[in-house]
Amino acid sequence: MPVIEVSDLRKVYGQRVAVDGLSFTVEPGEIFGVLGPNGAGKTTAVECIGGLRQRDGGAIRVAGMDPADEGGAFRELVGIQLQESRLPDKMSVGEALDLYASFYSAPHDPAELLERLGLIEQRKTYFARLSGGQKQRLSVALALIGNPKVAILDELTTGLDPVARREVWDLLEDLRGTGVTLLLVSHFMEEAERLCDRVIVIDHGRIIAADTPEGLAASVQADQKMSFVPSAPFDLAVLRALPDVHSVSITAERVVVTGTDNVASAVIIALHERSISVGRLRVDQPSLDDAFVALTSDDEEAVAPERTAVR
Amino acid sequence: MSQDTLTHRGTVVRLFPRISWRAARAMLASEGRLLARNPGVVIWTAVLPVAAAIILGSIPAVRRPSADLGGLSFFQVYQPILVFFAITLLAMQALPDVLTRYREMGVLKRLRTTPVSPALLLLAQLTLILSVAIVCMVLMVVIPPLGGAPWPRNVVGFVITYLLGAWALLGLGMVIASLFHNAKVAAGFGSFLFFVMQFFAGLWIQRPNMPTWLRHISDYTPSGSAVQGLTDSSIGHWPSALHLVVLAVWGVVTSRLAIRFFTWE
Repeated sequence: MPVIEVSDLRKVYGQRVAVDGLSFTVEPGEIFGVLGPNGAGKTTAVECIGGLRQRDGGAIRVAGMDPADEGGAFRELVGIQLQESRLPDKMSVGEALDLYASFYSAPHDPAELLERLGLIEQRKTYFARLSGGQKQRLSVALALIGNPKVAILDELTTGLDPVARREVWDLLEDLRGTGVTLLLVSHFMEEAERLCDRVIVIDHGRIIAADTPEGLAASVQADQKMSFVPSAPFDLAVLRALPDVHSVSITAERVVVTGTDNVASAVIIALHERSISVGRLRVDQPSLDDAFVALTSDDEEAVAPERTAVR
Repeated sequence: MSQDTLTHRGTVVRLFPRISWRAARAMLASEGRLLARNPGVVIWTAVLPVAAAIILGSIPAVRRPSADLGGLSFFQVYQPILVFFAITLLAMQALPDVLTRYREMGVLKRLRTTPVSPALLLLAQLTLILSVAIVCMVLMVVIPPLGGAPWPRNVVGFVITYLLGAWALLGLGMVIASLFHNAKVAAGFGSFLFFVMQFFAGLWIQRPNMPTWLRHISDYTPSGSAVQGLTDSSIGHWPSALHLVVLAVWGVVTSRLAIRFFTWE
């Protein structure tokens, strides 16, 4: 049975439709990614799911409860880490966790949580003295201190340097298998690729794709892309004649070829027959980044004229 | 389903969903600790008026009745003004400053994600600020008599006036924190209101020396009515009904406005 069920969620601000009919389900223990460009409606959607905003339409069930009721029981079950939320400068890590633990009926042991999040040495450190990564880990700790079934983490790694970002990712990977369901809002494809079991991509308040990160990447860019430096000049028509090749172009010194999954071996064999070797070969797997760009820019073109027509 | 929880009506309904005493104690302890680590505001607020009251009370000439002040002594006129100086400073500056900063930092919104209401944090702050103000008031009332200055003769009237005045001023501070979302703007407006309040309290022109029309205006301000109520009580009268009603009305109106307009984000 899904732990989060969203059907036809709608949220309107005045004339602007922020969330326009979202439907999806999340299974217990899953790490579920909500992706999309800035202003796509991700935060609004998860704030409705977290009971911080009242929806204008549709239905939401989180662990069998409606977030709109916003009761204490709901808050016990759902931990939320908000985008850009700070603590008082002179509150220490240990004090913050003890304080937040006092709000819940069956909290985690703060010391154990600090140990797990690698903050035990910062226990007495004031919030203002923590590094960016430590602040975000503390923020995750506060979202988890109440022993929630579901944790919503919004733009957790935005503004962190690559090292700090990896620290936070490691931590979330460790949470996999503890039974907590994570709803992760992000516009970092690398983050989703590394952590999420399934993702949805939102743009203009609508779901434009839903799949596993790998599935999504593969579905959008069907073509393999390879590039290399040939050992001697040759006629590009040789490659264009191959059935597996879709396009051939030259950039600076490299030859760039796109085609089916077999394109790399087909090209290498064809050139080998002409005694030309393939140097500094690179074959690019389609990435979630490519998928994301393709999805959101397609959408832009498709939706933009329609919007002008409406207005 | 069409109204937003962030509308004010929603906020009012959920202001006190459930009070957990464990959480309330932890919150009060935490805010108290933070205050002790940033003692600047309190020291600045308390030291000046308390020291002034004690020094004034120790000078015999200041304790003699003066015809210029309608038969009151300089001490009797200034002690209530100084008592309200401290709480006005706390209510107009310290309170809006800390609350708007907590809102800016997202502390109030983060509390909304937990089983306790952010209202608990407001209550903890109000409790702390009122406690600091009361300690200042007690020091200003208890220490000067050790040097020979008079006690307030009507202690009950004095305490009633003080509490009603504190309610009106803290309510006004909450209104500032509700109307301004930028901590710096709130602090600026708080300073302005502080000087307005002190003017009507009689810091520069004592109430007995105000022109009649000005004294009438002063009667309807929280600081003017509170200072007159305290002065009446310290010379043994009861505060006039007008002044108590004015304070209660300010208390009710500002509290309602603050509850109506205060937002968590």
